[in-house]
Amino acid sequence: MDSHQRITRRRFLKTAAAGVALGIAGKPSILPAKEEYDLAVISGEPAAATKKALETLGGISRFVKKGHRVVLKPNMSFARTPEFGATTHPMVVAAVAQECIHAGARQVLILDHTLHRAELCLERSGIREACKNISGVHVQAFQERKFFKEIKIPQGKVLDRVEVIQEALESDVLINIPVAKSHSATGVSLGLKGLMGLIWDRESFHSRININQALSDLATLIKPQLTIIDATRALASGGPGGPGDVKKTNLIIAGTDPVAVDSYGVTIVPWYGQNFKGRQVEHLLIAHQQGLGKIDTDQLKIYKGTT
Amino acid sequence: MRTTLQALSLLLFSLFLVFATYKLPDWFPADIYLRLDPLLGLNAVFAAREMIGRALWALVTIGATLLIGRFFCAYACPMGASIDFLDLLLFRKKKRESLKTESNLRKVKYFLLIVFIIAAVTGLSLAFLMDPIALLTRFYTFFIYPLVITLINLFLDLLRPLSKVLGWVSLSHLHFFQPVFYMSAITLLIFGGIVALNLIAPRFWCRYLCPLGALLSLISPLGLFKRKVSQECNECLKCLKACPMGAIPEDPKTSRLPECIQCRTCVKVCPQNAITFPVSLSIGGEYSGIDFSRRGFIYSLAGGLGVGFLAARTPFTLLQGKHNLIRAPGAIPETEFLRTCIRCGECMKSCLTNTLQPCLWESGFSGLWTPKMDLRLAPCDQNCNVCGKVCPTQAIRSVSIEEKNHAKVGTAILLKEKCLVWAQNKICLICDEICPYNAIVFRPVEGYRRPVVIASKCNGCGFCEQRCPVLGESAIVVVPDGEIRLKEGSYVKEAKKLQLEFKADPGDDKFILEESGFKIESGKKEEKKSQPQNPKGFL
Repeated sequence: MDSHQRITRRRFLKTAAAGVALGIAGKPSILPAKEEYDLAVISGEPAAATKKALETLGGISRFVKKGHRVVLKPNMSFARTPEFGATTHPMVVAAVAQECIHAGARQVLILDHTLHRAELCLERSGIREACKNISGVHVQAFQERKFFKEIKIPQGKVLDRVEVIQEALESDVLINIPVAKSHSATGVSLGLKGLMGLIWDRESFHSRININQALSDLATLIKPQLTIIDATRALASGGPGGPGDVKKTNLIIAGTDPVAVDSYGVTIVPWYGQNFKGRQVEHLLIAHQQGLGKIDTDQLKIYKGTT
Repeated sequence: MRTTLQALSLLLFSLFLVFATYKLPDWFPADIYLRLDPLLGLNAVFAAREMIGRALWALVTIGATLLIGRFFCAYACPMGASIDFLDLLLFRKKKRESLKTESNLRKVKYFLLIVFIIAAVTGLSLAFLMDPIALLTRFYTFFIYPLVITLINLFLDLLRPLSKVLGWVSLSHLHFFQPVFYMSAITLLIFGGIVALNLIAPRFWCRYLCPLGALLSLISPLGLFKRKVSQECNECLKCLKACPMGAIPEDPKTSRLPECIQCRTCVKVCPQNAITFPVSLSIGGEYSGIDFSRRGFIYSLAGGLGVGFLAARTPFTLLQGKHNLIRAPGAIPETEFLRTCIRCGECMKSCLTNTLQPCLWESGFSGLWTPKMDLRLAPCDQNCNVCGKVCPTQAIRSVSIEEKNHAKVGTAILLKEKCLVWAQNKICLICDEICPYNAIVFRPVEGYRRPVVIASKCNGCGFCEQRCPVLGESAIVVVPDGEIRLKEGSYVKEAKKLQLEFKADPGDDKFILEESGFKIESGKKEEKKSQPQNPKGFL
């Protein structure tokens, strides 16, 4: 996940996409949605909506190539069943994993640094069960420091070095699949906040340094190629652990701009009984100001659809 | 054949201990060795002054001893097996003189037995100190188990480069939770001491000290199989020297029946093939009585009463409930708990999170090795109820998960002077984030949202105390206040009576799939309320 590589890869992808678009311009029936969307917001049943969202963004093969090692980062930090809304829906995770394997991924590693005991999280979240029959997919929870590696954050303002799960650093593609939930320190916990699940020392975010700035610092280092918010339900209060008010939102929000995806995610439900915009979420605003993505949803090209 | 049975028994003992862990099936008696131990059973029944269901299993051992004799020590006892195997390994070549004070030493185990039984009658559980099964379970829990996990993890670490190269994804990330315990060293020292006593005489422990052996020897002369020496005997005394129990007197044609564990070592060493173990109904003979004196009896009686008296009359007894001591959920009321608990360590072995730790002096002499929860170290998980399941005396009751989660162990209190949010206006929410019961809420105080504990929702699980990022003592600690300790009856009902609610569910708003499209519940109602400030994190 060297940032140098990433830029080249992204450039390459853009060129490739353009090439493909040119190539098939003559057959518009194959690609009904020729225009590129910033966000795909799909309503429907978890797995189907996830697949539709990926399709809308140009298919998972836009990100995952043959032989790639893919890391999926859902939220499975709590030993809670999916209906609590504290963890990513297992069917969403399984759908993405399945698509990655179809696209030719050599290995899909689903991982998180769990807050509760690892085996309980894997078991209760349902994610291990949902993925057990997809070959090449492994669900792992990391609670040992030896699986983390320290890395510098050149652009970090309050966080200059951080220990990150090594597998995430070594992957070809990182896909962030957070669940939409409220958070009693950062307001909401979506994609950017979800990245905290990749690091070792989270306590200092709450005690030593400003968590909102630290999240933005972290986002300058860890840049998932794709963020898919599982908003099939949203934990509108009582987050991040729940129990709390679980709204039935039935949405999947996906995009490549982590700030934009999160910013849209803020608008889907009232959090703690109030409506907010992305700009009102401190860590998103800081990330936007640090140039990590767009925050105003009215400037985004959004595809809204149902399955 | 004997060695095989011993090895098998030790293996079984270890296996049962391995199974004593989270997700233990309800029907599986992981604590079976402890249940079968008649000394522990007697101790708990006398001290608790009531019948204990699981202790009835000990009748199996009693019955078998009545039928066969004191076979348990030679074939079934995992402690005996450990001593024998380690003796073979360490002291095989050691020349050991026969002890002159042997006949006096032999009485010690009976003294100890009497002390333990009398102490139990006075209400002091003491047999755990020297009961071999409890001792060994503790040794395995506090020493062997953590050691084995360390070794396995070390092996996995060494294997990791290879498993990475070979693409064994699961193996390359495999790591087992490393349990740690207080008092590992003391436990090791005691076990080491027992083994080292073999330097003086083989099976020193079993011959002279083991109170369980003493108990079994009381009834063993009634057993059917007895050593018999034929006229072929040329009195070479090889058997006398070889007997690991000192059960053969100067006249090798006779035997000290209570001491004989039917290991048949004498049969093997006899050059004349003069020794057999035929079925015999006679229980008479010069050496069938127990080596004991009236004076010794009186002394040990006094000893037992004395210890019982002393242990009951200490400030610790008066301060019960006033020390910050958190017991396992489902632990019966403290007085009964101390009487019933046999300190085997099985609950601590099985504990999923490693929060259960042995007490040293927290509740005095009568609380040695009893389980406490160290909630700064680890919390109690709401999905696990294994400690009660494996408790052989039910000092921790075996109850359903639902019941267990209502067996409140204490209440969290917030130390505002230490709390990062209260004292320093920092953005910390860890206690709230981790609380499984939503017992911590944020309330606007002095223009800032700060955490507050709702005592009626807190069952003392300790997730908050463990996770609090403050260094040193946690800024949120669980105290025994409000604990629910019931000898019988339902914790759920009791909690309801006290108007407590420990609910780890998302409320009524269950997740149901709906093809509702983009309909988003608008929070109009709530919007009308004027909030003093936006929730934390929102500008």
